[in-house]
Amino acid sequence: MSIDRRLLDLLACPQCKGSLQPCAQRQALCCPRCHLQYPIRDDIPVLLLDEAKPYEDKPA
Amino acid sequence: MEDLKPMSNQQKLVEKQFGVAATDYLHSPAHAQGADLQRLRREFAEQPAMRVLDLGCGAGHASFTLSEVVGEVLAVDLSGEMLRVVADEAQQRGLSNLHTEKSMAESLPFADAYFDGVVTRFSAHHWADVPAALREMRRVLHPQGKCVIIDVCAPENPLLDTFLQAVEILRDPSHVRDYRVSEWQAMLAAAGWQVSDQDTWKLPLDFASWISRMRSPEERVTAIKSVWAGAPTEVCDHFALQPNHDFSLDVCWMTALPL
Repeated sequence: MSIDRRLLDLLACPQCKGSLQPCAQRQALCCPRCHLQYPIRDDIPVLLLDEAKPYEDKPA
Repeated sequence: MEDLKPMSNQQKLVEKQFGVAATDYLHSPAHAQGADLQRLRREFAEQPAMRVLDLGCGAGHASFTLSEVVGEVLAVDLSGEMLRVVADEAQQRGLSNLHTEKSMAESLPFADAYFDGVVTRFSAHHWADVPAALREMRRVLHPQGKCVIIDVCAPENPLLDTFLQAVEILRDPSHVRDYRVSEWQAMLAAAGWQVSDQDTWKLPLDFASWISRMRSPEERVTAIKSVWAGAPTEVCDHFALQPNHDFSLDVCWMTALPL
């Protein structure tokens, strides 16, 4: 996953506005508060609730 | 925590509509050129530490312009295809301070007060909920920051307004509304903004390329021509309608500051 560290710092969960964590195994950004993972497609984070998936376990 | 809604069908229409024509917008003179881009450059010039958000970036013309003068630009759109075009073009131009991210204006995925500037150019007429977007723009902008809104606008005259929205929705099923300047002023005030500068000008359009960019089906093109053919002279005069159906749109620029 080639997401820029600076980009990650500025992104927030569209639902709770909290910070996101990279989840390399999922090719996604995860919100630990909402337990939602947002996909990264072609290196572009998709921060839409419509395309987010819930996860049960801790972010990878 | 905000109550976040999933994308409406209208927003899916936007995504679909702009996915097929992404590169056309990169090369469209109506989008790639314009004194407003030079004005944007001047507005944010010599601000190397500035972070600017470009909402509904489309093919990225405002983002490319701004990334040459500010520290960092975040280009946001609902269309993944558009964002890929923007990312590729940014790479070709060596603009390493331009990032792309897919989200909607009504629920922005950024921390409060992160940006020093927020701009949107030729996008807001597609937004499902402009008041919600203006509140989000206000939230992510630093209290000393500045917002610039550039969009097609409707004349204040109801007859002219109706004809404009009619041809817009026929051409583009994802069209929502070209707002009047008075509507922008009211929506901005309600969302906690004060307008510090505003301007309007005419944007002449080539009908054939205006239609082909949107891949409008033939029956809709015929309907637009029929609407224009039945238009009273004051409508034809206002939009500078030509025999080949070329015409001019009104465009507005609004600079807004947080109250």
